Amino acid sequence: MSQRFVTTTVEVEGREERVVVEAPEVEPLPWGPRARLDRVGSRVPRLDAAVKVTGRARYTADVRLPGMLYAAILRAPVAAGTVERLDVAEARAMPGVQALISPPDVSDIQWLHEEPLLGLRIYYHGQPLAAVAADSLLEARTAVAAIRVTVRGRRHHVGVDPEKRVRAARGAPAPPETVKRERGRVRRALREAPVVVTQTSRVPVALHHPLEPHGSVVWWQDDRVTVYDSTQGIFRVRRELAEALGLPVNRVRVIGEYMGGGFGSKNHCGAYTVLAALLSRKTGRPVKLVLDRREVGTDAGHRPESAVRITLGADRDGRLRAIDAEAWVALGVDGWPGGTTQIARRLYRCPNVRTVEHYLYTNAGAMSVFRAPFYVEGAFALESAMDLLAKRLRLDPAELRARNLSDVDPLRSRPYSLDVLPECLDDVTRRIGWGKRRRRPRWARPGPDDRTARGRGVALEIWGAAGGPPAYAEVRINRDASVLVITGTQDLGTGARTVLAQIAAQVLGVPLDQVHVLLGDTDAGPYAPNSWGSMTTASVGPAVRAAAEDAARQLREAAAGMLNVRPEGLVVRRGRIATASGRKSIALARVTEQLGNIMIVGTGHRGPNPESVTVMSFGAQAAEVEVDLETGEVRVLRIVAAHDCGRAINPELAESQMHGGILQGMGYALFERRVQDPGTGQVLNPGLHEYKIATLADMPQIDARVVTKSDPVANHTGTKGLGEPPIIPTAPAIANAVYDALGVQPAELPLTRRRMMQLIRKARRRR
Amino acid sequence: MSGERTRVVLAVNGRRRALALDPRTTLLDALREHLELTGTKRGCDRGECGVCTVLLDGRPVYACLALAAACDGARITTIEGLASAPERLHPVQQAFVAADALQCGYCTPGQILSAVALLEEHPRPTVAQIHEAMAGNLCRCGAYPKIVRAIRAASRRSKRR
Repeated sequence: MSQRFVTTTVEVEGREERVVVEAPEVEPLPWGPRARLDRVGSRVPRLDAAVKVTGRARYTADVRLPGMLYAAILRAPVAAGTVERLDVAEARAMPGVQALISPPDVSDIQWLHEEPLLGLRIYYHGQPLAAVAADSLLEARTAVAAIRVTVRGRRHHVGVDPEKRVRAARGAPAPPETVKRERGRVRRALREAPVVVTQTSRVPVALHHPLEPHGSVVWWQDDRVTVYDSTQGIFRVRRELAEALGLPVNRVRVIGEYMGGGFGSKNHCGAYTVLAALLSRKTGRPVKLVLDRREVGTDAGHRPESAVRITLGADRDGRLRAIDAEAWVALGVDGWPGGTTQIARRLYRCPNVRTVEHYLYTNAGAMSVFRAPFYVEGAFALESAMDLLAKRLRLDPAELRARNLSDVDPLRSRPYSLDVLPECLDDVTRRIGWGKRRRRPRWARPGPDDRTARGRGVALEIWGAAGGPPAYAEVRINRDASVLVITGTQDLGTGARTVLAQIAAQVLGVPLDQVHVLLGDTDAGPYAPNSWGSMTTASVGPAVRAAAEDAARQLREAAAGMLNVRPEGLVVRRGRIATASGRKSIALARVTEQLGNIMIVGTGHRGPNPESVTVMSFGAQAAEVEVDLETGEVRVLRIVAAHDCGRAINPELAESQMHGGILQGMGYALFERRVQDPGTGQVLNPGLHEYKIATLADMPQIDARVVTKSDPVANHTGTKGLGEPPIIPTAPAIANAVYDALGVQPAELPLTRRRMMQLIRKARRRR
Repeated sequence: MSGERTRVVLAVNGRRRALALDPRTTLLDALREHLELTGTKRGCDRGECGVCTVLLDGRPVYACLALAAACDGARITTIEGLASAPERLHPVQQAFVAADALQCGYCTPGQILSAVALLEEHPRPTVAQIHEAMAGNLCRCGAYPKIVRAIRAASRRSKRR
């Protein structure tokens, strides 16, 4: 008998974990490249589109419960220091105020760095200090403003500066250890390499800014806590909230029906959720605590600021001999020492690679993962350095990349399950009309109106999007042959509901509208992982398929009795269960009708990942930009993108994901930057007016191609994740296009007018 | 809130609604908190994001920037009032569904109302007109390319009619 519990490797957000997994007794046969599928692979409209376009979709902030109170948070007015006095008497007595919690009430709940949830030590401007629940939001906010807080400030530290040696936040714990890795012998290889280039690039703090602010509605009723939460992980919120409150997990229920985006910033239980729960316990009434936009921009996570120095050594024909990368990353008060240089060890074939990562805590809110965390930052550094190398070698940047592609996983020296990177690179260069590269800046010649310069750039990505266990699903067949799929995942706007329904409909041979997917409720669905790491489709998808196959098996057994045949030869197809020859068949609905109230419940779970191969997803983008030489404005004219997601369950939705990544990547390249005042440590642009995200008018022409090729080794649905990868190459492709246009290379994002004017002046001097 | 109340009458989605409100109440709060029309979303409360866009006498406005009392007597159309029946979507709603012009859906009601107003004014909008009309409705998921596709499709459909 095979072992039931085995260990497998799962990569989440660039970090590998060994996890124990329940090995399924039988895994369905993989849907390989030639599998004939009709529901899977079709461009059906997303199933929740109608409720979303009519305003009927209920998001967390729309939840309204009887007797509900509204809560607001008092936040620290300095970036570092100590609270000396917190006078709440006046606030407590204000009209409408029902409950107030301040540091003494929650000293037993540990939060960041084992500090209390509401502590007296201040680590960042905007840190929660107290919370008020009142009959209306206006009353709650008025009361918060009436709390008198006296603080003693201390010096704080923000930002990262590799030249000056970074200093961590005062009073904060020791920063995470510097991470050094080396394969081969980098120093010697650099000494011997005929061509060496060095580039230091910098990227800013970027904010997720999902348009639905973070928030929870919590009702502590008798001995159960019900939480409506805008979250990427209902099960994680359940566990973390139960731990914070000292409750067994079965007394906490987390519901996230519709969710207005997260992009990585909603992966944990927020302090706001715990505060809402405590206020609900105090009052016995439901409490709504939704952050306002400025709180989202201050204390809801960010992509960290970093500086990366990369040295590349190469042969004269462009083959990489050495990569030496060192990164300095300012995390904020807490965060995840992820892997800013990981992509440098992974994207290209290179025998000698050394990476060093320094992390530090600064006086700012904690970072959180943000769509392809660390790879976005690292890709900008690496892919910029590659273009610098191409220029030094007088080699076409696309050709340089092609020469350095690796046909095995450079990190583990083993094959990929399926490698489509060469195809992606070819595809984007062909479609953008790359042709022969002119290495001379185009603006040297008059442009269309004599004040613009145009250029093109290319960049690649690689991302661990295999997904993995554990993930569970249940498929119930009702007596009218309608299907209920239940799983504890969530739909952030990705289309999870739709693709899971397509998978179940495929297996059971029923029309899509006969399938309902119930997700986003920890009391209803079996466990599924956070929707992060591009892992939902490739983790929950196979679980749903396995559950549907299990239900189909039971239906075949039932039908076999009704048809007087053996169940083994039966197939479920287009609403009927038939013998292989088709001679005998019975409608699915007749089978379920005869079964009556006998429950057909299929269960399934995601099996282990393959051990001897590496499952990655790949992609490439090419950008065309126009630089206004008088104003410094960069306009992205066109992005051509090709990304791999194994088999696309729904190419329409996959394309939408690509658009999203590209537009966020473009914003990161051109305008997004959180500015923290060095003097006060305050975030100066927490709102959407000052923190610029792309608008419709900024949109370039986007030609997104989903490279859909089943990867049956990855899992039996042949899928891989696509949520994050498309954001990775956009900024470097744009920066490389600017380099092509001007002949000088941008080394710092975003490409503001001021930086661009400096670049343009430099270019003119060189002419 | 203690104190005075202002009487406000709004014609919301064709229905007369009489409210007694704290004078500081925004149109957004009147819709969401008093009339329970939560299809109009709150994203910033400062006119930065556009998710609260509604039609005020046919013109798109940010409901978070309008005081309810200042809208007394006005005709308000929210996303709930656009479809004549749950299964009979407005052509712009249909076009959004068909083009997959939404992801998380949070900005979608505002996008659709801005698009409806655009097509009322310019049945065959130019690129510049689409940019002008839609740039005030942010979408963080990046549905813009398909929003443009949906607007074009809805425009073609209305031409045929």
